[in-house]
Amino acid sequence: MSGRKLPWDWYDGELPQNVKIHEDAYVETSFSFRFFRSERSPGVEYGRGASTYLGTMFDVGPQARVKLGDFALVHGARIICDSEILIGDYALISWNVVLMDTYRVPTAVAGRRSELEALAQRELRIAAAAVEARPVRIESKVWIGFESCVLPGVTIGEGSIVGARSVVTTDVPPFTIVAGNPARIVRALTTEERDAE
Amino acid sequence: MKPEPGKWLHGTLPENVTLGPNTVITGDLAFKRFHTRLPDGLRIGAHGTMDGVHFDLGENGRVTIGDYCYFTNVVLLCELEVRIGNYVVIGWNATLADSDFHPIAPAQRVADAIACSPLGKGRPRPPIACKVIIIEDDVWIGPNATILKGVRIGAGAWIEPGTMVTRDVPPGARIMGNPAEVIGEVS
Repeated sequence: MSGRKLPWDWYDGELPQNVKIHEDAYVETSFSFRFFRSERSPGVEYGRGASTYLGTMFDVGPQARVKLGDFALVHGARIICDSEILIGDYALISWNVVLMDTYRVPTAVAGRRSELEALAQRELRIAAAAVEARPVRIESKVWIGFESCVLPGVTIGEGSIVGARSVVTTDVPPFTIVAGNPARIVRALTTEERDAE
Repeated sequence: MKPEPGKWLHGTLPENVTLGPNTVITGDLAFKRFHTRLPDGLRIGAHGTMDGVHFDLGENGRVTIGDYCYFTNVVLLCELEVRIGNYVVIGWNATLADSDFHPIAPAQRVADAIACSPLGKGRPRPPIACKVIIIEDDVWIGPNATILKGVRIGAGAWIEPGTMVTRDVPPGARIMGNPAEVIGEVS
């Protein structure tokens, strides 16, 4: 991609140099990188056929990286990442989903106050406190319904489904349907569903 | 150095909006549905960051926000009053609504549907329940959370992402879920 500007972009921005995009991947808008601060190389990586659409925001800190597998489809997720968020091949992530590996601000009131005072002086107004981050893994073929949240440290196993508006607080086993807030197991996929071609 | 006056990066602020120094509002849709006629419809303190917030205020809505607040893409729906303290963080795509928007009784909703329709010009709408929302100092509200009318969230409470808050939250409580439950205290 030359010049790192997207020819179809409505937003007057560019893709950061350390965003690695497969030639067959699609980025709808560079607006998704407005809060991208990663210094890693690559900070975000798109696999073959991966795509991100309007509303997707890479709120990715300096030491963090995000990887989208082949054919991963992210339709508008807020990716809040200070360590690592991996999205597997063929994962389908719906609109207004939150994937977060950190809460970004200290839980103790005093620490949060000083972070907010520092934030108000920054050029790019975004929280950046040194709080714990625990990587999130969305394995291959996972489908996450709209407006769900996946909290720090969670792994969602291969082929699983997260119902709309769920809040996933603990690991989800492979080939399992979860739903609810907090999310609970609804059922496992049947052998027939798992093996269907 | 004296901090810069508050500003909206995408246009001229409505006259009934007051911003404290160093408060920044971004997003061209911030005031798309800002209909309040009250002289002090929206008041935000100093050092605030309002990124992509929708200030959707009805004709009689009033919103006050304290100092050092940080909201990202919050949808603020106010027909009556929303009062927010200092050092409050509200996460991406959270919604606050101090109104039911429509009446409960079906017959009244019929009247409301007609009044709101293209045929309803000038017809008065039936009364609709609204209750003040109060969010005290140092509250943290996670992304995708929903805060409904009449709720008071006590100082320092921590609302986990996606929580549906329909009742008061005690100070310092950690809550999550739909319906919301207290899961602990902020350490």
